[in-house]
Amino acid sequence: MSSDNHIIIVGGGPAGSATALAARREGAEVTIVDRKTHVGIPVQCGEAIGKTGPGIAEIEIPEESIRVPIRGFRVYSPALISVDFAEKEPSGYIIDRRVFDKELLARAAESGSDVLLGAKVIDLTRTKGLVDGVVVRHNGARKKIKAKVVIGADGVNSEIARLTGLRRSFKPADIDSCFGYEMVNCDLEFPDLMEFLLGSNLCPRGYIWIFPKGEGRANVGIGIGGGFGVYTAQQYLDNFLKNNEIAKRQLARAKIVECRVGALPVCGPNEQNVVDGALLVGDAAGHVHPITGGGMGYAMVCGSIAGQVAAQCVAKGDVSAARLQEYETRWRKRYGDEFAQSLKLRDLLIETEDETLDKLAKIVTGDSVVKLAAARKIKIFAKAVATRDRKLITLMRELRKLKMV
Amino acid sequence: MSPSGKTSNKLAKVNGEICGICQACATVCPKNAIDVFEHYIVILPDKCNGCGTCTKVCPVEAIELVER
Repeated sequence: MSSDNHIIIVGGGPAGSATALAARREGAEVTIVDRKTHVGIPVQCGEAIGKTGPGIAEIEIPEESIRVPIRGFRVYSPALISVDFAEKEPSGYIIDRRVFDKELLARAAESGSDVLLGAKVIDLTRTKGLVDGVVVRHNGARKKIKAKVVIGADGVNSEIARLTGLRRSFKPADIDSCFGYEMVNCDLEFPDLMEFLLGSNLCPRGYIWIFPKGEGRANVGIGIGGGFGVYTAQQYLDNFLKNNEIAKRQLARAKIVECRVGALPVCGPNEQNVVDGALLVGDAAGHVHPITGGGMGYAMVCGSIAGQVAAQCVAKGDVSAARLQEYETRWRKRYGDEFAQSLKLRDLLIETEDETLDKLAKIVTGDSVVKLAAARKIKIFAKAVATRDRKLITLMRELRKLKMV
Repeated sequence: MSPSGKTSNKLAKVNGEICGICQACATVCPKNAIDVFEHYIVILPDKCNGCGTCTKVCPVEAIELVER
């Protein structure tokens, strides 16, 4: 590939495939390179996806990857007081990432992108400071691939982020350390709700999730803040399965059929995701919700923007950071506030004691929060104010800013 | 820190039988001493300074510090 409108996308996950599809629509030549020979494997995810992100990105969720539709979620406070956030109609799905990632990559290839698997990027090439290609190891040999733009869609441990200098190593607290099981023989109480559990002893700066997958199957996992735990993520999850009432109620008969690990950037987006001739998308860009750890929707929307902008810049013959900056401007316009607000709430939650979360749950419980009428919301807020608990009121205020209560 | 730049005479070691290649260790390594491949990870002894940051984020206790 030596054409003058060639874009290299490093990473064949949802971020890379969404970027490729958009770049192809604008007429660019695209090569996706991936270190792995199988995308989507091993699964490192809870596998929940909302309808919104793929909808905005105009990417249809592959039918064959959908396991169950999801109407919302139930959160358990540390004392197991539950609050539901649910719609009448499904707002998302639990999917199978093995099928999902592969199908999106297949679509990218079908749209005309080349795919090079088993190719590990070891360096970038530059001309006059402008990134203009990658050096990969492939089948035991070094190989240079030239491109007008290099896009890093290579995940939380992004080599492109490192090589471009867009990100140094994370601090432990910047990431979540995750562990999960896929289980069968689960007796789930709500087959179309995700369940989250909070608690400083249960899962420090994180949550435990139970995601239904249909037919008595579920993903049960945990994410804890790096360096926040006394034990490992796996030990916290095993403790939950053995000792927590919610687990005893629903997972006493359950059997483990898969173990999963994962790491997530939860410190918000990188300060800058663009340099001369290169940019970052997906987890590599830090496009992950700092509280939920969700990232696929952002990856697909921001990836679509990146693919479009990169291809247009290539077509105009100017791939300087100043021109590629349009990507940065456009994704920030859509999600900048959301990331910033969520990060603020996350930091507030770190300082929030379990008792305050229990108090909050007690005030809100009994209602399906998404469906709350304005009057009811005011009543709930009034209840919170009546407690005269400063921490609780602050927390409530931040939740209201995010339109959660 | 000693003049050689090593914070200790220790070295990170991965237990490949436990490691699930989540890459958490590699993302926090301040020395970029952990190289990730499809089926395994490698600690680069020349770069590792034995700081132990990697051990704090491993979800499964697959990485530990050993004497050099």
